[in-house]
Formats: sequence, C-alpha cells, structure tokens
Amino acid sequence: MASSFSPGGPSRPRPGYYPPSIANPSPNPSPASSLPGTMQNLQIGRPSAPSGPPPFLSGISASASGGSRPGPPPQSLPTRPQFQQPPAMSNGPPSIGVSGPRFPTQATLREPTPTIPTQGSRAVPGSSSAGSPANDLVPPSIYNSSFSAPAAGVPMAPPSLVSSPPQLHSLMGGQPSHPLAGGSPSQPLAGGPPSQPLMGGPPSLPYMGQPQMVQYSGMRQPLPPSGAAPPFGSPPVWQQQQPRPGVAPVSSMVQAPPQMFGAPPSPFTQPRPLTPPVMGNSPLAWSHSSTPSTIDPNQIPRPMVDSSVIVFNTRQGNQVNSPPPATSDFIVKDTGNCSPRLMRCTMNQIPCSGDLLSTSSMPLALLVQPMAIPNPDEEPIQVVDFGEIGPIRCSRCKGYINPFMKFVDQGKRFICNLCGYSNETPRDYYMNLGPDGRRRDAEERPELCRGTVEFVATKEYMVRDPMPAVFFFLVDVSMNSIRTGATAAACGAISQAIADLPEGPRTLVGIATFDSAIHFYNLKRALQQPLMLVVPDIQDVYTPLHTDLIVPVAECRQHLEQLLESIPSMFETNKVADSAFGAAIKAAFLALKPTGGKLLVFQSVLPSIGTGSLSSREAEGRTTNVSSGEKEAHKLLQPADMTLKTMAIEFAEHQQVCVDVFITTQAFVDMASISVVPRTTGGQVYYYYPFSALSDTAKLYNDLRWNISRPQGFEAVMRVRCSQGIQVQEYSGNFCKRIPTDIDLPGIDCDKSIMVSFKHDDKFQEGSECAFQCALLYTTIYGQRRIRVSNLSLPCTTMLGTLFRSADLDSLLTCFLRQAATAIPTSPLSQVREQIMNLCVNILHSYRKFCATVSTPGQLILPESVKLLPLYTLALSKSTGLRNDGRLDERSYWANHVASLSVSLAVPWVYPRMISIHDLTSKENNDPILSSILPLSSANLNDDGIYLLENGEDCLFYVGNMVNSEILQQIFGVTSVDGLPTQFVLQQYENTFSKILNDVVNEIRRQRCSFLRMRLCRKGDPSGMLFLSNMVEDKSPGGLSYMEFLVHVHRQIQTKME
Amino acid sequence: MTEFVDLETQDGVRMTWNVFPGTKQEAMNCVIPAAAIYTPLKPIPNVPVLPYAALRCRICRSILNPFSIVDYAAKIWICPFCFQRNHFPQHYASISEDNLPAELFAQYTTIEYESVHDAGPVVPPVFLFVVDTCMLEEELGYLKSALAQAIELLPEKSLVGLITFGNYVQVHELGFGQMPKSYIFKGLKEVTKDQILDQMNFFSGKPKPAVGVIAGARDGLSAASIARFLLPASECEFVLNSVLEELQRDPWPVPADQRASRCTSTALSAAASLLGVCVPGSGARIMAFVGGPSTEGPGMIVSKNLSEPIRSHKDLDKGSAPLYSKAAKFFEGLSKQLVHQGHVLDLFACALDQVGVAELKVAVERSGGIVVLAESFGHSVFKDSLKRIFQANDYDLGLSFNGVFEVNCSKEVKVQGIIGPCASLDKKGPLCSETVVGQGNTSAWKMCGLDKKTSLCIVFDIARKDGPDAVGQSTNSQFYFQFLTYYQHNDGHMRLRATTLSRRWAAGSGSIQDLVAGFDQETAAAVMARLVSFKMETEADFDPIRWLDRSLIGLCSKFGEYQKDSPSSFSLSPRFSIFPQFMFNLRRSQFVQVFNNSPDETAYYRMILNRESVSNSVVMIQPSLISYSFHSAPEPVLLDVAAIAADRILLLDAYFTVVVFHGTSIAQWRIAGYHNQAGHETFAQLLEAPRDDAEGIIKERFPVPRLVICDQYGSQARFLLAKLNPSVTYNSDAHLRPGGDVLFTDDVSFEVFLNHLQRLAVQ
Repeated sequence: MASSFSPGGPSRPRPGYYPPSIANPSPNPSPASSLPGTMQNLQIGRPSAPSGPPPFLSGISASASGGSRPGPPPQSLPTRPQFQQPPAMSNGPPSIGVSGPRFPTQATLREPTPTIPTQGSRAVPGSSSAGSPANDLVPPSIYNSSFSAPAAGVPMAPPSLVSSPPQLHSLMGGQPSHPLAGGSPSQPLAGGPPSQPLMGGPPSLPYMGQPQMVQYSGMRQPLPPSGAAPPFGSPPVWQQQQPRPGVAPVSSMVQAPPQMFGAPPSPFTQPRPLTPPVMGNSPLAWSHSSTPSTIDPNQIPRPMVDSSVIVFNTRQGNQVNSPPPATSDFIVKDTGNCSPRLMRCTMNQIPCSGDLLSTSSMPLALLVQPMAIPNPDEEPIQVVDFGEIGPIRCSRCKGYINPFMKFVDQGKRFICNLCGYSNETPRDYYMNLGPDGRRRDAEERPELCRGTVEFVATKEYMVRDPMPAVFFFLVDVSMNSIRTGATAAACGAISQAIADLPEGPRTLVGIATFDSAIHFYNLKRALQQPLMLVVPDIQDVYTPLHTDLIVPVAECRQHLEQLLESIPSMFETNKVADSAFGAAIKAAFLALKPTGGKLLVFQSVLPSIGTGSLSSREAEGRTTNVSSGEKEAHKLLQPADMTLKTMAIEFAEHQQVCVDVFITTQAFVDMASISVVPRTTGGQVYYYYPFSALSDTAKLYNDLRWNISRPQGFEAVMRVRCSQGIQVQEYSGNFCKRIPTDIDLPGIDCDKSIMVSFKHDDKFQEGSECAFQCALLYTTIYGQRRIRVSNLSLPCTTMLGTLFRSADLDSLLTCFLRQAATAIPTSPLSQVREQIMNLCVNILHSYRKFCATVSTPGQLILPESVKLLPLYTLALSKSTGLRNDGRLDERSYWANHVASLSVSLAVPWVYPRMISIHDLTSKENNDPILSSILPLSSANLNDDGIYLLENGEDCLFYVGNMVNSEILQQIFGVTSVDGLPTQFVLQQYENTFSKILNDVVNEIRRQRCSFLRMRLCRKGDPSGMLFLSNMVEDKSPGGLSYMEFLVHVHRQIQTKME
Repeated sequence: MTEFVDLETQDGVRMTWNVFPGTKQEAMNCVIPAAAIYTPLKPIPNVPVLPYAALRCRICRSILNPFSIVDYAAKIWICPFCFQRNHFPQHYASISEDNLPAELFAQYTTIEYESVHDAGPVVPPVFLFVVDTCMLEEELGYLKSALAQAIELLPEKSLVGLITFGNYVQVHELGFGQMPKSYIFKGLKEVTKDQILDQMNFFSGKPKPAVGVIAGARDGLSAASIARFLLPASECEFVLNSVLEELQRDPWPVPADQRASRCTSTALSAAASLLGVCVPGSGARIMAFVGGPSTEGPGMIVSKNLSEPIRSHKDLDKGSAPLYSKAAKFFEGLSKQLVHQGHVLDLFACALDQVGVAELKVAVERSGGIVVLAESFGHSVFKDSLKRIFQANDYDLGLSFNGVFEVNCSKEVKVQGIIGPCASLDKKGPLCSETVVGQGNTSAWKMCGLDKKTSLCIVFDIARKDGPDAVGQSTNSQFYFQFLTYYQHNDGHMRLRATTLSRRWAAGSGSIQDLVAGFDQETAAAVMARLVSFKMETEADFDPIRWLDRSLIGLCSKFGEYQKDSPSSFSLSPRFSIFPQFMFNLRRSQFVQVFNNSPDETAYYRMILNRESVSNSVVMIQPSLISYSFHSAPEPVLLDVAAIAADRILLLDAYFTVVVFHGTSIAQWRIAGYHNQAGHETFAQLLEAPRDDAEGIIKERFPVPRLVICDQYGSQARFLLAKLNPSVTYNSDAHLRPGGDVLFTDDVSFEVFLNHLQRLAVQ
C-alpha cells in the first residue's frame, strides 16, 4: 500500500534537521501530471518506493525504510508485520527474511525476561469465568517478578524499529512534499541524542518484524517493575490476571498502543533521517502507476503498527519535538514541555495568524488529559512545595512559574511567557543568572526545567479542608434488576472492589439501594447489624440520617460485605418494577453533601418514577414520529428535560459530587437523559447492553475496580492559559462550568480527557513560541491539595506547509470525533456525517490548493501527516454513533463515551483493531502476543477463520462457519460452530492455543485499560452482522467502501478546486 | 346524697337534677343545667350479658327495656319514647308475664347484649408505639426500659407497631427479617394515607386500584403487607426489643441555641395513616411518648430558636401565639381522621418543658385517648401509669375500643351535647337541641377509646313548655332516657350496653321542693367545672369568675331561704349546702385559675376532668383533707389552713397530687428517727397510716398521681398550702395558733366569700 509516492519532493532528501517548513513546500509536481484524471487511477502505487531508501539505508536505522509502513510497533502486536509488509513493500519480504540474523540480538535482549512463561502463568485458569473471584488465585508476584529482571537497559533498543518510515504509504497521490516531516529539527540527529544510545544495538535490525516483538516483550517487562507510576492504587488488574500489584498494568496500558498509524513524518526522532529519502524518491506512486484503472486495495493508506518503544524528548536544544502517535509505545523525557499524554495539540506548530489557521481548515485544539498515567519508566512528576508563599505566579495573568518564564535583570524580574508581564522575583525566590541567561538553579528546580510539576497548594487554594475520598454506591434493586442478575453482579463487584480501597481514615464508603424508594444503610460499627433506612418520598427526597451513612471503610468492611452479600436475597422477591433513579441520586447526593465524593450508581431499568423520572421515548419515537421521524430523531438524543441537568449542576457546583453510572440493562433506559449527570459531574457512563449476568459480571467488577482504584483527584478546578495572541474558545468534556475561564471537576481521573479549542485574537511573531499552561487544582485521594501544572510551548509558523507537516492526526481525529458527538443530539445524522466529511475534504482541499504545487487535478494528494484522515473519516461516519440503524441508547452512549475519550483510545474506538485468531499458534514467532492487524474489510475474513476485533471497549470474536472443530474445541470448548454459546465467557483451557489467546486478550486489556466486553459472533447470525458492521472498509447499505470513499473525496476536492 | 350514689351504682348515671324542672323557663331559672354524667362502662355487678341482639323499636330504634309496656297476649310492646307499637319477633314467642326476657326485668335497667354471630372475626387490639428520640440519653434510657416492660405485658395476640421520631419520622418494619428496617419520612409535612399506600409498597406487584377507598385486609391489601408493620406481640417481641435497645438519640445535630428538631405532628399523622391503611375500623391505639415541644412540621408549637419562649396562657389570650391555631387546626384534622378510622391517640408527655398537650388535646380527647403528663420518663407518674395500662388485675383500666354512644329520650327533652372524650357522629335528629354544648348537634357519638371510668357529661335541654303551648305534650309526669353504648369489649367481641332511665317532671312552679330534693350538688359541681372549662376554651373574652359567681348567686337566690335584703337571714337547704364551697374551690382551682399553669397543664387537667366520674371530679375541685394524730382516728378536716397543726399529719388528695404533710413536731420526730426505735411503734404506725392510705389512692387512680411527702415549712409544702382556704393570712387579724400556719396570699377566704354571697343572694 504505502508504496506509492508522489514524486519526491525535493526537499525530502535531506535528512533535514531543519524544520521542514522551509524546504517543505515543495509541491509534487510530477506525480500530478502523470496521473490520469480521475481517482480511479488511484491505485496505490507500486512498491517502487522501497527502493528509495537504499541510499540511506546504510544509515543506522535505514532498514526501517524498507517497510514503508513503520513496522508494527512492537509494543502491541508483534506479528503485525505480516500484514503490513507484504502488501506494502515489495522489499518487505526480503527484509523480513533477513531478519534472521537479527534474531540473535533479539534473543539476547529477550533473554533476561522469561516473558512467555510469565504470561502463561499469568493467565489464570478459571479466569474467564464470570464469577471471577477465583482469579485472585493468581499470585501477583509472578507477574512482577518475571518482569522485573529485564528492566532498565533494554527498553530502548526497540526504538530503532520505530523508525518505520511510514511515508511511503501515506502518499496517496504522489505527494512528495513531506519531506520528512522534517518538522522536528532534532530528527536529523536521528533523535540521536536521547534515543540513540539505546538504539545502539538495534540499528542492525533491518525490520521490525518479529524481532521487535521479542524486544517488545522484553521491554515491557521491565517496565512494570519500574513502576514509578500512578500515585494511587494499583492499576486495573483484570480478573484473570488478578493480583498484579504494582504498576504493571499501568505500564501496559501506557505502552499499549498497538498500532502506529502511518507515522507522521515528523514524529520520530530516530527514524527520520531514513525516511526522507524514501519519501523523496517515492514518485507519485499512483500517478505513475502503469495500471491506472485499478486500485490495489492493499496499497491504500492504512494504519500501521510499530511495536517498538520510542523514547521521546519533549524538547531538545530549545526545539520542540512532535510527539509520537498516541497509540504507540513511548517513554517521555520531560525536558521542558509536558508529556504528550497530558497535553497534545492538533498541530505541533502554531499558526501565527488566525487567517493561516482558517486557511488550513484544521482546528486548533488541545487535548488535555491532566491525570494521564505515565509510562512507569518515566520520571515521576515532581512535587514542589513553596511553603506558605505558595507557587510563584505571574501577578497579572496568574500563570504559574514554568520553564518558559524568562528571568531578566540579573534574575530580579521575570517575564511571563503567557501574558508578557514583567514581574518582580520574590525575594525568597531570587537567584542570579548564569552565563546562558538562565537561572543558575534552573536545573535543580523542577518548576524551571520540567514541563509538568505539581505544586503543594496553600490555604488560599482551599475553601474548606481537603475532602476525604468518599465512595457511595447506589444499587438498583427493582424487579428487573434482581431478575437479570444485575443486582447480584453489582453487589459482587462492589464487595470485591472495596477490598482494594485504602484503609485509611480518609477513605469513606456508603451504600444505598433503590427501587421505588431509596434504602440507605446505617453501617456504623457499634450497631450489631446494618440498619436499613427507607426514604419513600421520591418526589421530595432527603437523607435519612446525618451521620453514619458514610463511614470509614476500615470500620465497616465487615458490615458492608455482609450487607452486599445479603442484598440480592433480601430483595429476591421484590415486585417493584419502578426505579427512582433521579430521586436516588438526589438522596445520595444529600447524604454526600457534607463532604462531596464519588457516587457510583448501578442502574438497570428506565427510571420511571420520582424526581427526574423518564418515559420510554424510544417507543414513543417509533410510533408517533414515523413521518416526522427521521428529521426529529436527533431530538431524542437530547435530555428529556432539565431536571437531571439542574440536579447535576447542583451536585457539581456546590458539593463536589461526581457521579458514575453503570447501566446494566436489557432495554431502553434513556441514556441521553441519564448521561447528563455523569457528564456534568466529571463522571462516566458504563453501558452493558444487553446485560448478561454470565458474561458481564467480570467486566462490571473490573470496570468498577479500575474506577475506584485508578489515579484520580477530587474537587478539582482546571484552567488552561495560553499566550497572548490566542485565547481559549471552548472546553469540552465531562465537567461543569460556572465561570467562563475555569471548569469544575468534582472528579478527575487518569482516563478523562478534556478538549480545549482556541481562536486567534492577535498574531504571533514568527519564530516566537506559543505557550499553553494547564493548571489543575485538585485533592488527592490522600487528602492533599495540589496544583498540577503542565506546560506546552510550541513554535509559531507562518507557513501552511509546516502547519500540515506538524499536524497531529490522532488529535485531529479525536477532535473530529468530539465534534461529531456534539452534533449528534442537535442535527440529523445525515447532516452530521456530511459535516464530518466536509472537515476532511476541507483540509485535504486546503492542502491540495496551497501546498501541493500545481499538479494535475486528477491526483488525490494526501499530506503525509494526515494521510489516514479519509480512512478515519469513513470509519467515523460508519461508527455506532453515526449509523442510521443504531439504537437510541447505543448512539447516545457512543456520543457520551467520546466526550471524555483520550486520544490514545479514540483511535481504536473509531478504527478498531482486528486480528486473526485461528492461526495464532502457527505464527512464526515463538512468542506472538498480538499478531498483525487486519484491515477492516470482510475480504479478510475467511470462513475457516476466527477473528478478534476490539475497540477498547468491546471485543468481538468472529467465528466463520467452517472453522476447524479442533480449534473450536481448543478455544471455546465446543466441537461445532452450532455449539457456541450465545453468552460468552472466555475460558482458559489446558492447551497452548487457549493460553496464547488468553495472553493476547490480556495484553489488549492492559493496553486499553479496559476489561473488554466479550461477544461471540457467528457468521450468518445477527451477531455476525454486528461484527460485519465493523468492517468499515466494505461497502455498506449506508456507506461507501474505502475505495469509493477516496474517489468521493477526490471528486469533492476537485469540485472545490474548480 | 347517698341515694344518688346508689343510683350511680346501678346505672352509672348521676344527674344534676333528678327531678327535672317542668318547663324550659323553669329550667332557665334553675341556673344549673339539667345534665347527666354517665359512665358507660362502669362495672356494675350482676349486669346480665344477653347472647342475642337487642330488640329495637321500629321507629325510634330504641331498645326494648323495663319501661316498655308489654301486651303479652298480642305479643306487642310499646316503646316508651315514641309510643310505637312493636310486635315481638318469632323468638320472643314464648314471652309471658311469667317468662320475661332479662331486658324486661325491672332491676335490669342496665343490660348488655353480645351477639357473637353477627360480628366479624375477632380482631386483636393494636398498639402502635410512637416514640420521641429527641431527649437526653438518660430520659431515653428511662423510656426504653419502661417500654420494654410494657411490651412484656402486652397481650400475646395484640398487634404491635413502632414509629420513632425526631427530626424525621421512622416507621419501623418489624416484620422484615433480615435486618432492622425502617421507612423515613421528613418531618416537615404530614404523611397521608395515600402516601403510605404508595410509598410503602402496599401494592407491590399489583396496580393500585383506580377508585375506591382502599385500606385494610378487607379492601384488598394483603395480610402479608400489613404484617410487615403490625405483628402479634408474641412474634415480634425479640425484634421490638432489639430495636428499642439500639434506639439512639436523634442523631441530627442540635445547635446550642436551638431546640431539638422534633416532628411530633408528622409522626402522629404517619401513625394515624398507617393504622388507617392497615386496620381501619378495628380497635387500635397510637401511644405517643413525647419528650419535648414539637418544633417541626404542621403541628409545631414553637420555633427551634431557644430565645423564643413556648406560648403561655397570656400569649394565647393576646393572640400572640402564631403557631397555636395552625397546630390546633392540624390536630383537629388528625382527630377527624382518627375518629373516622376508629383509632385512639394516647399521649404520654414527659418533659420539663411543655410539649404541646394544649394543641394535641383535641385529638386525644375526641378519640378517647389517655393522657399522662409528667416531668420525666423516669418519674413514677409515667412509669406506673404506663404499667397500669397493660396490667391485668383489679385495677385494670378495662380499655375498650370502637365505641359508639347513642342517646334516646322522651320528646320533651333534647340534647345540647356532650362534654367528654367523644366525637360527634353528626347524626342529626329531633333529639338535637339548637343550643350546642361540647360535641352537639347529634344523637350519636364516637368513642374510639373508652374504659371503665370514662364518663360523659350529657347536657340536656328542656323543651317542655307551659301554658297554651303545652298542647300535645304528654301529661305523663314520667319521661325516659336511654343510653346505648356499642363497644369492642376487651375480649375482642362487640357489645352493646343499654341503660334506660326514667325521671319525673317537677310539676308546675310550686314544685320547688321537688327540685330541691332532686338536686345533686356534687354532680352539679362537676358539671359546672366541665362547663366553665369548656366555655373558657371556646368563648372569647369569657370571664369565668364572673360567670360562676353569677350562677351561684342566681342559684342561691332561687333556692335559698331568706328575707330580702337581709343577708343574715339567708340559709340553704342541705341539698345545696356544700355547693357554694365547691364553687369557692372551683374558682380557685387549676381549671379556672389558669395563669399559674402552662397551657399544657391546663389542657391536661381539663382532659382528665372531662373523663372522670363525679366523685373524682369533686376531688379535683375540692381536694379532700384527712388528719392523722395521736388524739383521734383519722378524720376528714376542713380544707383550711387552720387544719395545720404541729402534731398532725395531713393527707391531701388533690387528685393529681397526693400530699402527706407532717406538722413540725411530727417532722422533727421523724427526722430524729423515733419511728425506728422500740417503744415508739405507735408513732411508726401514725407515720405509716397516711402513707398506706396514699398508696391506696394511688393504686386505683389513673393517671397515677404524684405523691409528695413533705414537712411543714418545707419547700414541698406548697402543694398543700396552695389548696387550703386562706382563713389565716399574713394580714388577717386572726390569732395564729401555735403550730399552725399562715398563708401568704391576698385571696379571699371562704368566709369572706360566703358573706358576699349572702349579701348578693338576698338582693
């Protein structure tokens, strides 16, 4: 696929340290000319490209170039290579073959870590079983220990692999221009500085292929131990894997990103040098293509996976580096800018003027994930305590001290990088300047040399004492909930999950159940037994007790466990079908009022009674709106009324209550209305539909466990400041906003991401930098008040080409995703799809018009950095949220989920990862953890195959109708396809196949920080259709195939050009 | 006097006039209204209980009685009230002069019917405890132990429920096995029946019927859903005890400058509604234990702010008790609900503060509830009273439920109303007088709760006229009353007690002697006390002293013998002789002199007065005083300060308090401990005697009176001194006897009072 290139941009060749911007503009004249007028020609170029590299190949990492697509990131899916390479590069194969030699190295690397065994051990038997308590069996220690050994040194090696020069593919049209994304000056150095040393070994490796995998595994093992990690509780441990104490899981997640999407030219340090050549050379693959009429589907740009671990320096030599793809595995060295995990901009260079920005048609937005979990190998965020004076701040804009504040006048004054005001340095903070103009203590002071620090907040930052960590559980016990087993599942999950809560006096818990009334429980220890207090008035609720409903977990653990055990039986005969969700959360809120805290609600049916009750709008919509239906349908995705919203604002604004809702249902619950509450209070919705007590129990537990044990903060306030010239336009995410500048987050955790969009109100000087500073004031779970300040300073540019080169595909995608989600409740679906498509077309058009030098109109030219944009746009338009045939709740959930989705999870959410399972054991590597990903096209599905598709949330197993029964037996324990259960629990059987599969699944779980909802899909069955609906590259009743879509986009651009 | 007591013994009735003034005008002149104080359930020895239904007159529904004229041959009886001729039904076929049914026996003017077969299943009595938790730990402890004791005494079959309250109301679901469970209601608004039905899962699994009054097992509620809240005592004793044991003080914080938040009214409305839902129409008591003023909800009597004092009589008079009328109105509504459901509200108010008895009075009184007022739950007044309620022994209160009281009388007599623990059933008829007193304008009353001593004061109106208007009046000088009381006997069955009386008209105006002979001055005093209390509560700007004085003067003018304008010539018949003294003491009593008491106390005293028999009422009005000394046997002495002597022990029975008062010498001896020394057995006996007598009084009285044992000049002596006639005061000329005492008061003495009376009567 990748092979086709536009005629090499002239610029390309240079190893370019230099900002590509300069050279960059080179249009690709030639390719265009060659191309036949229409897209059809689009065939993606021949593999010609590969050849390009040779010259450079000699270079260290040259090998990478061979596979135009960057090798599979070792991290996740080692196997990947097969998939990508073959098509992509003709040379590919050879290289792989070559790999042989490489192995040794790998081997060495790998040796230290007995990965395989560990994994094996990890997979707990029984694990898959729903009940799951069993999981505990697995001694956590194993996991760790195994990993620990390998630790430090190794990791870096792989990076070399990373180098994968994606460019080849990327250019659909012969787009030569991207000279290596030269964007990052540093690159030429091949990222030398940081990474190389490590690389040392690797250079030899030609391709990423398997070797990487090995490395990968090796690498990752080390990570866990290092686990600097999340401050708070252990990361999610999946049941099966259970006891992994430490960080391990986290690390996995962090690294996880399996796919590296066509590497944007700029991102990687090391690889860079190589790529340029490729690009340059690569002639407009397709324009050239001898066979214009056909398009080789295998050569269309597709995401690629790079399994290597990248070491990423946020700044080098006062230059900004573009971050690696969000889904890739990287280790950040904070050298002034914050980690891209914390803040990531849609473009890594800021346009000097608003005009430039609008010309590009790209949005300028920051995706902020302030509590993102770092890679365990990264240096932990440092805590700075200024004592009573509190953090140093600009006296005009109140920006916090950061590495970009410039000290002048021998250090007596400092100039704010945000507003430009010259402040006097506080006496206690004075330090004279060194010869380089920096303070002499700059390197010792984290706030002056790190992009992210945490300040200890003083009294001024508190309106009251920092709140304790309060967890209040609210469980639906109405008739349906009991009957479907949802109540039992919830109680079981809570019971297990609280075992992981820290015991301190600052951890408080409470519980209530509800049907048409709300039942609180007095858990006070002195009482012999919990006491049940029923609040029956659900129109005007209240909390039945002033104290004792919420008690330190240490004091009530036993009571609570007993209670949770007895709740399902206590309500066994409950005949109350109604559920007073609104009233229940209100009542729980009142109980939480004195402290604030987290409210975790387990809801199973449509809230039909009491305050904030809802009606079955879905059914009504179906019957009454048939005619007006389609047009008005989106209204059903708006909250039914303002009751819950008003309530939620009260929760958030005044009492710092964060609501998470776990919906375990088999029917319509009006997600659109319910989700308002978590969205406004910084919470989250979990959706289990259709709920199955058998298969969802384990996920429910794991979700809950991660929810309460993940790194998080309470009663937070966040503000993003930026340099003069631009201003914050809007925040989007799960929060509540009282004043325009700040957002209130009753709860903030490592998974939540907030998008901040900007607009120009002035111009920047070329060569200046634009700074962003995100300050998050929050209370830790241990009751300390902290201010986490993240800084990102990006260079400004006047060149459109530079802008495109620095574009960040993943962030852009996330940005689009959120725009789509926002539009869903307000516009008809067709309009939303149109809108999204236009976003894509406009960008491409802008590029085509202004950056690609004159070329024949027939050529579709894709900027290297965003070459996957059409694919993602297509996938997005076919996603659950934008499909016509989706259920209301599912669409609403989709939109809601997206609202806080981080960049690294947004990508698979739109373009899921699919791998084949049936051949797991036959893969070449000895240690395949994730095999290569398959394009989402039904052409890749064989009747005798089993495939796994996951998007970070769901994991679908597709079983063809001719699968070898032996394989079935080994994986699912059944002998025929017909014997497959409808409700599925992944079991581990005593055979290699099953073990490997479980390892793979566990690996995915760690990467995604999610337990995954497993479902079995059989060909020829509705479940099979479900699976097939994910095949976004196929032509579908509601959409074009990928190829058709490219043609479509191309036409649109052409139309615009004329 | 004794003949009246005899009559009372036979029928439980005492009347002010046992010979009625012959005309309306005459009755007016007689000042004291014709009234009867009737004790419907008075234990009367040898009352036959007939195992069949009563035979009623076709027209007036009165019951066959000894005064009916029977034609044995024709098997017909003539109703003495309406003169209707009624045929005897089949089962009276064998009736003859020699074979009379018991109801025709002349001596059985009072008789009971119990027809087992027409009654439904026996419903055990229900006790719903409503317990305040806003009190000191110590008080709560007392209350808990008292309740625990009471629960042990509950009849096994009786159903029990529990509601506790403080800031919120907690309805305990005692039938929930797994853990203690309760429903919580906010204190601010009343809890309606519908709310209870909807919110406490009475319809779980079934749709609520769209129409119709739903309540009770008969109307579609499952027994199981009722049994969640009301359980047989034997089944829930353990749960109940453990809940009580764990009962905590109301946990809501109370700022130092505020009163506890206590939603008494909401709790009571929840209790009433719960009973209304579960057991409408069958006997049930709400027993409320309240430890302080209601400060929350519709029945609040004072705000939470401690700087605001609780209303006093003065505030009520001036209308500056803004919460009063609202609360009273709320409880009026509650009383209607209770009466409608046939349930009783009992109030046990134990606090140093007022708790709102004055506001609650209407609900307690109309439903026939018991009220006990004490300073503390640890006080014997409360503890022993509570025990008495459940104790089955000679002093059994004989609590009965669900009473309906009806009156029939001859045409010339009408009923103005009843002052007493009952509520009008609004059954209007020719019997109703236009003048209304108390619960009037009806000939039937509901008595949700009644006991052996409950006494109603029925006030009559005489419609008989003189002269030309008298045409058509019966010339018979006899006329009749019939009092019918249906009630649920404490064995669970419904009974009907019928009392039929005959009285005579005083013939013409010359018959003053008849009137005098028939005057019952004790009853008159009791009736006057009820009337004056009633008027004080209901008539604005009513001046009780003036009214009483005028009545007395009027009475004396009419019945005294004197020469005009010659006070010294004045004399009264023995039938009237003590009446002025009663009036004198009534004027000084707690019923009239309210300003020494809080509105709660006044309400309490009046509620007791309104349900007590004549003799007890008289004690309340004019306490009895007995003197014990070495010189003589115990003897009643005048209620006068002159009764005090150094070597006497006085026993004062003021009904609510019983005082044993030791003269100075006795007190000194007692302190010296002589009674413990050999050789002083007599002294010991002397000391013992009044105590024993006091014990005797206490034992049979309910509520249990407060026993005060004090010495002359001691601070507690005030309980005695306050009741004595101030014949010797600090500014009187009388010579102080050694060992006597002086009252520091400006009140007039009885002597002065009499002098004035004589002077005015003869004018």
